[in-house]
Amino acid sequence: MLLVPSLALAQSTISGTVSESENGFPLPGVNVIISGSSSGTTTDFYGKYQLTANNGDVLVFSYVGYTSQEVIFAGQAVLDVQLSEDASALDEIVLIGYGGVKKEDLTGAVDLITAKDFNQGPIVSAQQLISGKIAGVSVTSGSGAPGDGQTIRIRGNGSLGLSSNPLIVLDGIPLNDGGVGGSRNPLNLINPNDIESMVVLKDASATAIYGSRGANGVIIITSKKGKEGGFKFNINASTTIHTAIDQVDVLSTEEFVGVINSTGDTAYTDLLGASDTNWQDEIYKDATGKDFSFSALGSAFGVPMRASLGYTDHDGILRTDNFQRTTGSLNFSPSFLKEQLKVEVNLRGSVAKNTFADRGAIGSAVSFDPTQSPYDAGSQYGGYFAWIDAGTGNQSNLAQTNPLALLNLRNDTSQVDRFIANIKVDYNLPFVEGLKATFNLGHDSSMSDGVTLVSDLIPTSDSTFNGSKNTYNQEATNQLLDVYLTYITSFNDAHNLTAVAGHSYQAFEFDNTSYDSEAEEDGNDFEFIDRSKNVLLSYFTRLNYDYQGKYLLTATLRADASSKLNPDDRWGYFPSLAAAWNLHKEGFMSDSFFDELKLRAGYGEVGNVNGLGDYRFLTQYVGSQSTANYQFGSSFYQTYRPEPINTELRWEIGRTTNIGLDYAILDGKLSGSVNAYMKETKNLIASSSVDPFTNFGNRIDANIGDMENKGIELSFDYTPIQNENFKWSINYNISFNDNKVTRLPFDQAVGGISGGVGNNIQTHNEGQTPYSFLVYQQVYDASGAAIEGVYVDRNGDDIINDDDRYIKESPFADVIMGFNTNLKYKNWDLSVISRANFGNYAYNNVASNAVFSQAIGNSGGFLRNIHSDYLYTGFMDYTETSLLSDHYVQEASFFKIDNITLGYTLKDAYKDTDIRFYGSAQNVLTVTNYEGLDPEIYGGIDNNFYPRPRSFVFGVNIDF
Amino acid sequence: MKNIFKKLVFGLAITSIIVSCHDDLNQSPIDPDSFTEEDVFATPEQAKGALAKLYSSLALTGQQGPAGQPDIAGIDEGFSQFSRMLFNLNEITTDHAVVGWGDPGLPDLHGMYWSSSNDFTEAMYYRLAQEVSFCNSFITNATNLNDTSVESYIAEARFLRAYAYYNLIDLYGSVPLITTVSTDLPQQSSRSEIFNFIETELLEIENSLPGSGGNEFGRVDQVAAWALLSRLYLNADVWIGQSKYSEAATYSGNVISSSYSINSNDANGNGTAYDELFLADNDTNGAQNEFIFALNFDGLQSQTYGGTTFLIHAAIGGSMNATDFGVNGGWGGLRTTKNLVNQFAVDIDAQNMALGSISDWGLVGDATTNGWDGPDMEMYQTAPDQYAIYAELNSGEIKFRFNEDWGNNYGDDGADGSIEAGGANIAVSSAGTYYITLDIGSLTYTIAPYTSDKRGMFYSDGQNLEIESIPSFENGYAVTKFKNVDSNGNQGVDSGGDFTDTDLPLIRLAEIYLNYAEAVVRGGNGDLSLAVSKINELRQRAFGSTSGDITSSDLDLEFILNERSKELYWEGLRRTDLIRFNKFTSGSYLWPFKGDVEIGASVSDFRNVFPIPNNVISVNPNLTQNEGY
Repeated sequence: MLLVPSLALAQSTISGTVSESENGFPLPGVNVIISGSSSGTTTDFYGKYQLTANNGDVLVFSYVGYTSQEVIFAGQAVLDVQLSEDASALDEIVLIGYGGVKKEDLTGAVDLITAKDFNQGPIVSAQQLISGKIAGVSVTSGSGAPGDGQTIRIRGNGSLGLSSNPLIVLDGIPLNDGGVGGSRNPLNLINPNDIESMVVLKDASATAIYGSRGANGVIIITSKKGKEGGFKFNINASTTIHTAIDQVDVLSTEEFVGVINSTGDTAYTDLLGASDTNWQDEIYKDATGKDFSFSALGSAFGVPMRASLGYTDHDGILRTDNFQRTTGSLNFSPSFLKEQLKVEVNLRGSVAKNTFADRGAIGSAVSFDPTQSPYDAGSQYGGYFAWIDAGTGNQSNLAQTNPLALLNLRNDTSQVDRFIANIKVDYNLPFVEGLKATFNLGHDSSMSDGVTLVSDLIPTSDSTFNGSKNTYNQEATNQLLDVYLTYITSFNDAHNLTAVAGHSYQAFEFDNTSYDSEAEEDGNDFEFIDRSKNVLLSYFTRLNYDYQGKYLLTATLRADASSKLNPDDRWGYFPSLAAAWNLHKEGFMSDSFFDELKLRAGYGEVGNVNGLGDYRFLTQYVGSQSTANYQFGSSFYQTYRPEPINTELRWEIGRTTNIGLDYAILDGKLSGSVNAYMKETKNLIASSSVDPFTNFGNRIDANIGDMENKGIELSFDYTPIQNENFKWSINYNISFNDNKVTRLPFDQAVGGISGGVGNNIQTHNEGQTPYSFLVYQQVYDASGAAIEGVYVDRNGDDIINDDDRYIKESPFADVIMGFNTNLKYKNWDLSVISRANFGNYAYNNVASNAVFSQAIGNSGGFLRNIHSDYLYTGFMDYTETSLLSDHYVQEASFFKIDNITLGYTLKDAYKDTDIRFYGSAQNVLTVTNYEGLDPEIYGGIDNNFYPRPRSFVFGVNIDF
Repeated sequence: MKNIFKKLVFGLAITSIIVSCHDDLNQSPIDPDSFTEEDVFATPEQAKGALAKLYSSLALTGQQGPAGQPDIAGIDEGFSQFSRMLFNLNEITTDHAVVGWGDPGLPDLHGMYWSSSNDFTEAMYYRLAQEVSFCNSFITNATNLNDTSVESYIAEARFLRAYAYYNLIDLYGSVPLITTVSTDLPQQSSRSEIFNFIETELLEIENSLPGSGGNEFGRVDQVAAWALLSRLYLNADVWIGQSKYSEAATYSGNVISSSYSINSNDANGNGTAYDELFLADNDTNGAQNEFIFALNFDGLQSQTYGGTTFLIHAAIGGSMNATDFGVNGGWGGLRTTKNLVNQFAVDIDAQNMALGSISDWGLVGDATTNGWDGPDMEMYQTAPDQYAIYAELNSGEIKFRFNEDWGNNYGDDGADGSIEAGGANIAVSSAGTYYITLDIGSLTYTIAPYTSDKRGMFYSDGQNLEIESIPSFENGYAVTKFKNVDSNGNQGVDSGGDFTDTDLPLIRLAEIYLNYAEAVVRGGNGDLSLAVSKINELRQRAFGSTSGDITSSDLDLEFILNERSKELYWEGLRRTDLIRFNKFTSGSYLWPFKGDVEIGASVSDFRNVFPIPNNVISVNPNLTQNEGY
């Protein structure tokens, strides 16, 4: 409490500038008020303010995200104030779904990452922004193709048969989880530069407000919005070079010739060519990319607004692969009725153009005979070498197709247009103080058009092939209506209460059509339609209560009904309760070295039907296509098949208990959190066997088992040095996760591999990690070489059959770490992002196909190259058992440096214009013992992986 | 007041939105390929599409064709086709076939070491149980139609259900007997209960089915019921321990007296009317008159990776020319053992004597018995300047020589079929019996593998009769029985050569002839001379003459088993036959790699039935696993 001398009443005018302490930029919109009075003002665009005050008045300068400053007015005419960014940002409002809370009032396991902490470098997809940043969150790219999908897992796999993807909420709109046809990544619609912050809700006490959609965690993405004040502009342009860094280790030409010659059989040696072709060199190239974005934010006609444009154009390192995207967004946030009615309009559109290289070329290049030249002037196939079957005169039907022909004679393109719009209205209801009504109407639609043209010159065994054209057209729409009331009140200056209650309606519909020119030529059905719709209806309520900011309580309840479930089991009720205790606010802690210390505990339940097909509880018949009709008399009849049915499908339910601790010490220089969680998924929905006499199929989606994920997450943010010239910050996070199927009445084979037909390498077994490898135990001779066809008879019945397979490890890491550091020295900045995974295994499917009979093309009149693992095993033939040998399941732990970025900022290069130049290297280093191309393969089956390139970026970022 | 009004409007607006949303939870399919039960069973004509599914689920694998929307989940769709699995379980497990592929569970079948989680025994169980469920549902819904025009449909569905149970009792022994669709976990029924059910059903529908030849192409009539009864009774001793050979003879006799007839039309003029049964036009070339129950395939409209598409593609490999078979390439998988090939071995001396008188022209070379030094294998003069010989040769080379003298020898420069004095050696790529002709007038010759019984259709060029290891294609002769060319040599309708038109008989008259003979020889009431004459009918078609005729003294059980092998190989009956003759698991009859041993070995008797799939047992605790598994 400041004592104000009562006599000093001399009133005078004060003015000044408020700026950022770090870089001296003026701060517009800063609130300047006189404590205890109603008078005050805000700074203008140039950070200037003016007001009248009395001597001894306390001036409070506050701005969101910055530490407030209080200054006692002592009659000075000019008072310049510098605000520094709030290190602990305790006042930051964190969105938690249907509203937000101050960070210090959070009760759940929630992480917030804002733009300043995002990963740098050639970021094409929004998911990459947070890779390695958050304990318990793993982001794995599907491949090295530009714009390709990323798999996000929050605290491991949550389901077996349903989607384990987190819910993504963009500006209040929960997005469609399903892939969009012809799209590489559903999040490609967002220009990463438009994102202001991402909030990750990890535990069920936090996600329960999203009910059935929050089963696997929630990522709330908030885009940048317009602000009061004059316009500010940003231009970001960069150019990238991608290079391939590694190749699959196949036999060299010399080794290959040696293997073929060792047969001494002219049937094979006569097939050898005279060339020395590295087919992998032929299909990969150095690729370039460019990114450009422009944004403007400010306020026009009194309406805050932001507009942005982005353009991305990247080639893939696989020849002919290209991804182009244009994005645009517009945001208005006008207020009416003296700020009592706030409207927010977001319009966002993107046009992505893909040219898909035929990825079959990757496998084909790995296994194409290196003694053949890519080109053959006499070839009937456009000059591309092909293996010809002497009988038919066409390409042998089991030979692989020249990879260059696959790349150059196929043209596979798509355009995906996506449009997301929402209008959100907040109205402070005049008749009850503190009561606000919110109405949010959203629309998310994507339309994709794709065409695949195959030249008639492509090598094929089909003698009458005269080219083909396949087109598809997919439309997915998602409509949203949220209506909710928020009531905020406090009483006795100590009890604070926020209550939210509302209703949400979402409808998802897709409509796909495709066309097949070959079917048309054959006189069969050539247009195919696929359509479906489901609706999700919800009521939700949440109560946040705190006593003096010390004791916090959050309770939520959501009721969801999905049209996917039968009317009797349709409604699911998902409650949660969480409590937190801000210990540092207690008197007895006032002398402790903790600047912040908060204990949290929460429990929540969420449902899941994401990824479940529609109408599973209804009796349906599927009509046959005209290629599957049946002849009676002289006519072919369309047949009707009754579909497998499950009238008893219920919600899959996840129950999470989370205990956490948030701390900050050393004046906030070291902060972080610790979480321990236990998530049980009950009534897992998965494709499950049924007694086939009781249904119309052998598998139905049914609630069959239980699973658990338990783990510990730790994160540390440390800023060892922070002064005017030098700032160094470190972020380290580590998470341990243990995932087990705890109840499953029967084993489920999963993880299809190539080689043979119908081989599965993985299994879901009770008591084991899902997707564990199920393999035969290879026997090795005294010299350590694998003995072909000899396995350990583990059950001792003198027969080696599938009863002898055993569980060996899983593709999921036991420990995931992220380590990031940022250095700023004067105008220089440097950031390094690295990650490590431990205890993850991969099945090397390229090596497992390396057997002699493959090299000689199974006597089919052609040759094939094989993986050099053959030089070690010398296996002659592959069989079910050799493919499933534990020899090919290898540890794939790794440490990766994902990114190093170095930047230099030229301040005030020209009139309030800052220019930052930066260079960045992506995918810098991988340390691993794994023998395949890349240890980081989601799902753990390494086969013809599109290699992740190393990328070098040079860019410039201009603020003015 | 104004405020209250505002509140009211606000409240009403929200309420009405929410209420209208609730109705939206009741979604029904909007896909144009999706139908409700009311749609499908709206009229008898409409219901015919559901009947067609009962047939097509044995021929095809899903609703998309050749792959997509599969009927059976969890297995490669092409593998899940009924007749392909029947081949895997009833032919590959025997001396009739080996397959080189290493797909999970597949090598286990010929090696006879399958486990209770074998993919194929499991998928077959699913396929047959699903057929039962489809039929049960169809019978209920069609009965509710209350329309006399669907009576035959219902009888056909009951036939197909009985056929499914016939396979279940044969392959798995005791399984649940289910006649209505219910989600209650079923109990296992004994083999005799299932036997009685099949028997009763077939006897009951005998007269609801159209009379012999009275149904449209592709659908069964009452003869099919009799034929299936004949099979059922023939195996009664194995399955329920009761001999029913007289019943087997009776129902075989009914079939024999029906309008069905053995195809005698040698449409392609190659000397026998047997191969027409397995050509692309076997729905029109006369073969259809012999087919009592067949699966219809069409290269464009009924596509699958099973069926004859599998039988034809999979049997092509090595140096075989796929275009000769009307397809675009081989899959290099199936071959046969020497046991089957040797069934067709001929009495060469007698054949040679019949050619004409012995001459001084002869064969010399390391492919002949005496090598390059002679003496030569003398040829027989069939006409002036025309010589011929049936000769057993090794792989190697030959030349023609006159009077054991190199002064007058002929070889073939350029391997063009014309001979030159002192020309190059003629290659004999593999050991076997050959028919060789020499025309010393036009200086031409022919050399071709020879069997007198034309049912033996093998490809031996580059193939070894002996099997040293199963995976690589050159081990064992290839089988050329099934082709996707019609009687004029034209490829089937799929111009791409992927999918075949050739229909596949599941029951054909020739088998019933053999059933009749076996029933009579095993002591059933019947006419032995009728049996002999029917067997001779088959043999005359096979030999193209009466040279292979037998008399009643030749007709014993051993003869019948061999005759069934020769007439019906690769048609899905062999395992059942061997079990009936106690030769499937026992050491009394061996073939290469029986019991996973190169020279063959017996296996435990429990392998006479396949295991109930593990996955089924784990979801239905009422079921007991077959002994031994």
